[in-house]
Amino acid sequence: MRPFKHIQASSLEEAASLASREGVMVIAGGTDLLGTLKDECLPWYPNYIVDLKTIPGLDEIREEDGALVIGTLVRLQDIADSELVRTHAQALAEACGRAASPTIRNMGTIGGNICQMHRCWYFRCPDNRFVCARKGGRECYAYKGDNRYHSIFGIQGGCLAASSHDSAPALVALGATVVTTAREIPAEEFFMANGCKSHVLEDGELVKEIRVPKTAASRFEKFALRKSIDFPLVNCAVAEDADGRVRIVLGACYPSPKRMTEAEEAVRGGIDEKSAQAAGDAAVANVMVLSRNEYKVEIARTLVKRTLLRLVSE
Amino acid sequence: MAQLPRREFLKAGTAALAGMTLSALGLGSITGAAEGSSPEKQVFVYTCPVCGEQFPDFEQLRLHFSGMHRELEIPKTVCLTINSVEYDVFVEDHWTLREALIRAVGLTGNAKQMCDRGGCGSCTVLIDGKPALSCTTLAVECEGKQIETSEGIAADPTYRPLLEAYVRNDTAQCGYCTPAQFTVAKYILNKYDLNPTEDQIRLELSGNICRCGTYARHVKAIMEAAEEMRGGK
Repeated sequence: MRPFKHIQASSLEEAASLASREGVMVIAGGTDLLGTLKDECLPWYPNYIVDLKTIPGLDEIREEDGALVIGTLVRLQDIADSELVRTHAQALAEACGRAASPTIRNMGTIGGNICQMHRCWYFRCPDNRFVCARKGGRECYAYKGDNRYHSIFGIQGGCLAASSHDSAPALVALGATVVTTAREIPAEEFFMANGCKSHVLEDGELVKEIRVPKTAASRFEKFALRKSIDFPLVNCAVAEDADGRVRIVLGACYPSPKRMTEAEEAVRGGIDEKSAQAAGDAAVANVMVLSRNEYKVEIARTLVKRTLLRLVSE
Repeated sequence: MAQLPRREFLKAGTAALAGMTLSALGLGSITGAAEGSSPEKQVFVYTCPVCGEQFPDFEQLRLHFSGMHRELEIPKTVCLTINSVEYDVFVEDHWTLREALIRAVGLTGNAKQMCDRGGCGSCTVLIDGKPALSCTTLAVECEGKQIETSEGIAADPTYRPLLEAYVRNDTAQCGYCTPAQFTVAKYILNKYDLNPTEDQIRLELSGNICRCGTYARHVKAIMEAAEEMRGGK
């Protein structure tokens, strides 16, 4: 890595004011950031790194007004192991328990997981060799190039990269709210791509905590080539809210996690083998496959069905 | 040359292999050391990064630096607690823990460089008792934390049965990923209170990749070590 200066923040306000300056980046778990800095895949390189891990009080999970409040520095493994999360937001616990490897889950934080940058081999190519649409270029190289892991629902913001977070579909399905230093953002709006970022945060805005409403029934399923240390090819989260409406969210199929409203209509009358199959078909009815990723459609269809059936059978 | 009978030859071969395995673990020098020798007695030389002069302790080096190299800024020093020994080391802000362990402390046995991106687990050390990837941890962030490496675990008589089970089962084939798996093995024994199931071991070791495919031997070795250590309790 090229040199930078390291600053330890003592409060979130201090970190936010530092982060709003030019050439400053924040680090929590570091599992995503240090890789991108070693590869130098971004158009800029920071002069300063602000460590958030020294800020007290952001690494706990608590209950508040019928919702779970998860601090931004809570490790993924701690969420996966938390009895509170497993009871009231099972999809999130399952998602965090399937992300990356056990070692990375011990290091990576939930705040970092939802803010991680997209995984596209053109975007992340070492030494910033492809100035793609996301970095202000004119072209998305995945359109004509190798796009086997990319979006099957078309383009968003000029980009075809698939969102690679495991926690994102779970948070959207559970109707979570991301509380930042400046505002509260519903998870559904949080994951819209914004330049090189995979989220809508402004410069100098940091995630403080995540508020997840208690949900009795929710499930998460992931399909990846390897069981461990792998990003999802497709992942799916379903959750039943207090009114009995089921939300279905597909991840890794679009630049942001995508809510499948047609599929939700298909299971309005209850979930059984037949309606789950119909939901799977409805979810992939409007796909726009690229030259090499048609295989993901079948995986998405099956995963929607499988996750819905797990919701009623377990 | 007198010919060895085939059976004798095989025996000799096995003994040689076992010896090789130990050195491949990067633990050879430590396993050879007398047990119970106090780790505080390790000789550690502080070398001036500018002129190369050597000093027995950090304070003398600091004095030398501020006297002889007055025009230079004193580099950042971090106190790393590695295997219960405190080391004051010069690190730069952008050094990862892996770089600090190898360049500044000289512990080359555990934190191997493979992918350097957090994808393979070959650099796993224990930070505050939990496995962490030293290639994606900044050294300056480790101040005040307990770092354990395979060298320290292998030198600890408590974990002698684990080391012996590792050698007996020939877990190190090329041996490059083995020290990292060995540190995770210690974590597994602690986490599951010497009573892990095979599935739990496979799950916890799933962050470590081995190109030789020795996965099954690790499970066997940890199960054997757990049984032996339970009996010894």
